[in-house]
Amino acid sequence: MADERLFDETTRRKLEQLMLVARRVRAGAMKGERRSTKRGTSIEFADYRNYVRGDDLRRLDWNIYGRLERPFIKLLEDEEDLAVHLILDVSASMDWPQEGERDRNKFLYARRLFAGLAYMALATNDRLTLLATSDSTAAPFGPIRGRGFGLPMLAYVGGLKAAGITDLNAALKDYALRAGRPGLCFIISDLLMPGGYQDGINRLLGRGYEVGLIHILSPDEIEPPLGGDLRLVDVETGQGQEVTIDAGMRDLYIKRLEAWRDGIRADCVRRGVHYVGVDTGVPWEKVILFNLRRLGAVK
Amino acid sequence: MAFLTPLALAGAALAIPIILLYMLRLRRREVIVSSTFLWQQVLQDSEANTPWQRLRRNILLLLQLIILALLVFALARPFMIVPAVSAGQIELLVDASASMNATDLPDGGSRFEEAKRQALSIVDTLGAGDTVTVIRVADVPTVVIPATDDRVTLRAGINALQPGLAEADWVAALTLAAADAAGAQQASIVIIGDGGLGDAEGLPGIPGEIRYVPVGVSDSNLAISALATRALPGQPPQLFAQITNYGSQDADVIFDLRVDGALFTARRYTVPAGQSLPLVSESLPDGFGILQAGLTRPTDSRVPDYLAADDTAWAVAAEGGARRVLLMTAGNLFLEQALRSLPGIQAFRGDINRPLPAEPYDLYIFDGWLPPGNLPDGDLLFVNPPGNTALFTVGAESTATANPTVRRDDPRMAFVDFDDVNVLKFKRIIGADWAETLIAVEGGPLLLAGETGGRRAAILTFDLRESDLPLQITWPVLMANLLEWFTPQAVVSAPDGLLVGQTMAIRPAAGAAQVRLTLPDGSTRALPVDRETLAFAETGAPGIYRVDVLGENGLMQSARVAVNLFAPGESAIAPRSSLSLSGATITPSARDEIGQREFWPLAALAALLVLLVEWYVYHRRLRVRTMFRPALRQREVMG
Repeated sequence: MADERLFDETTRRKLEQLMLVARRVRAGAMKGERRSTKRGTSIEFADYRNYVRGDDLRRLDWNIYGRLERPFIKLLEDEEDLAVHLILDVSASMDWPQEGERDRNKFLYARRLFAGLAYMALATNDRLTLLATSDSTAAPFGPIRGRGFGLPMLAYVGGLKAAGITDLNAALKDYALRAGRPGLCFIISDLLMPGGYQDGINRLLGRGYEVGLIHILSPDEIEPPLGGDLRLVDVETGQGQEVTIDAGMRDLYIKRLEAWRDGIRADCVRRGVHYVGVDTGVPWEKVILFNLRRLGAVK
Repeated sequence: MAFLTPLALAGAALAIPIILLYMLRLRRREVIVSSTFLWQQVLQDSEANTPWQRLRRNILLLLQLIILALLVFALARPFMIVPAVSAGQIELLVDASASMNATDLPDGGSRFEEAKRQALSIVDTLGAGDTVTVIRVADVPTVVIPATDDRVTLRAGINALQPGLAEADWVAALTLAAADAAGAQQASIVIIGDGGLGDAEGLPGIPGEIRYVPVGVSDSNLAISALATRALPGQPPQLFAQITNYGSQDADVIFDLRVDGALFTARRYTVPAGQSLPLVSESLPDGFGILQAGLTRPTDSRVPDYLAADDTAWAVAAEGGARRVLLMTAGNLFLEQALRSLPGIQAFRGDINRPLPAEPYDLYIFDGWLPPGNLPDGDLLFVNPPGNTALFTVGAESTATANPTVRRDDPRMAFVDFDDVNVLKFKRIIGADWAETLIAVEGGPLLLAGETGGRRAAILTFDLRESDLPLQITWPVLMANLLEWFTPQAVVSAPDGLLVGQTMAIRPAAGAAQVRLTLPDGSTRALPVDRETLAFAETGAPGIYRVDVLGENGLMQSARVAVNLFAPGESAIAPRSSLSLSGATITPSARDEIGQREFWPLAALAALLVLLVEWYVYHRRLRVRTMFRPALRQREVMG
């Protein structure tokens, strides 16, 4: 798996030109590369206002004073950073399909997206926290900031393994409690878990996070190539499920899957969560360059 | 309903291993998937929505159990008790005579097809232990299937039966059946046909019970019942034909006549019911070879003609029949007796004091007499010629008659022995270079023969009354040989043609190596010439038969023979409602015996159909399973 490059030079350059956008979260703590709604101390001009007592004389515009003989204070734009949180589901079900075209493996696909978003965040000097979780005990990577962390970040992402059972609710709740500054939070998962994810996302939203959910499924999960009298074994839990699959049963499955995805999408829209449903048959860059852009999460 | 082999029902126990195998088979293949999360939901949905889903899952088992049940049912050979025509040992006589070709059944089928259906129905209702012998009754009755209870054989044999075009020989058929039935405990003879046993009606001592299944409904039929030509010397050939209406309604018919394949005449006649209409024509063209007469029903006629086999007849131009020989003599008992004793000779004696008769003869015999003027056309036999003719000159008499020599290698001298013949004297013949010497003595030839001017001539150079030749056995032999040479007999002597099924007697000329027969359907048969008269019996189809006699150097003789179905017994197709045999009257038999009709084929067919459904259901599942197999990780659970 180590020889599987997460992305190449061309993709990296494209990513450098993009940045993550949060619409609601503006709680910058350090100087970043984003224009803040607050007036600040950067060199970007914003506006003028009348001098009032107590203003810092260093910010008086002496050129105006010389011309008009009236004191004006020059207002400059403030630049701030964004707290970016990326959470990756590394449960065993993500490492699927285990055979066939490698590019369609959900875990590889998810890590590419994960690394791509992280690289964008580092490139724009955002405060980045990465969490690869299958349960609540995982420790986050970061926070980190700046391009200098590019290589450690890639090494971290490249070294991730898919194993175990994910309780996404627990993981998200725990993260919401422990993480520092709320910010833009992307969750990458296949959501194939009976416990659900809603409570965790509610907790994040309640803490002021702006949440994006990238829902990854492989083509053979969307249209399963199965038939006959089978005992399906869950790769994650090891539990078996006996089922006789014929054409009618497959149709039922496909309808059920559609209903499930539609339900998640509707739920996300209702809560203001960015939802991107992804089929690993589609190139992963397209998700960032097209799907997320269309949602306004990337520009 | 009962079963012939109820033990086979024990086969139902096979259901137990099937169910066990099914349960074993249902140890499902284990397949690893990323998550069963959605499948669990689907199962909950489907089981909630369709309660019969579980049953559907077992549909293969259900189908297999149905197949087993049907097969066991079939193997047990279920049957129903049905009324049957006959039981025991059954001699099934199927009439295959010409009248069985009549197509008077309501569905347009022929009587023979109906007879076969009746025969099959009898086979279908055979009881246990019943056997059937199938005899096809045609001109030569044959046992098609010897006594058997194997229904498959019987059905195949009956289905393969074909009707003939000849008269049936019921005497032979009933004798055959009686011989076969002799000794059986319960024997019966079932006659399927349209009645009319002919000569067999008086046949005594038929064992067993005789039953009759009549076939046919109508009597409407027109036939050409006679067709012949005659040619008297010097007159144009005459035609004699006869159309007979065997039906009970007056019928219109078109009678057409073809001469050597070309339509000569076609006329419409009305033939009263049950009567014959003779037709005589004197205007046939000279020199024709074959006449073909046909009957056609006019389009406006409502009287059907159900039997087609007797609507066509053939005739071959008469070839003169007997050879006409004119004997001109002052009186020679030996010659007259010899001519009278020879077959195929029509001898006439002329008056030597009057000129030769004007009508032509095949052979002229001049005994010690010569006609004034020119010799007549035709073959000539001179006996002791008194003077010169255009063919030879008579020389001096000779008495050097010792040491007779006979040309043994000549066919005209076959069996002729002159060693003991004494001749007083003979005349020397000069200038007969065209003739070969067949018999000679020291002084010269006694018998000369040869061809000159397109005719054959022979000279006997001595007076028969001055020798003891007429008293010898050689005399009739010599005359027969000479006359055979003059005018050879016809290859086939059947001036009026033959009837279908009659044996053709073929007399090839001496020296023939092979006889080749061309049948009406164009096929040929070759007969080796191993005796004087050959018999050819394969005259089962009406039409023209061509006989070619082949010698070592090619064709020697050729003749054509017309074979016709002039059989009133066959053309009168009115079905008989009863038969009379041995003085008893046999009415159509009711089905008063008990037969068993098996219906296992239905069960077997149903099993096959269910098997097809089972295959389809299985295949449908399999197709879904294998379509994407390469993309799957599947693991078979061993054991």
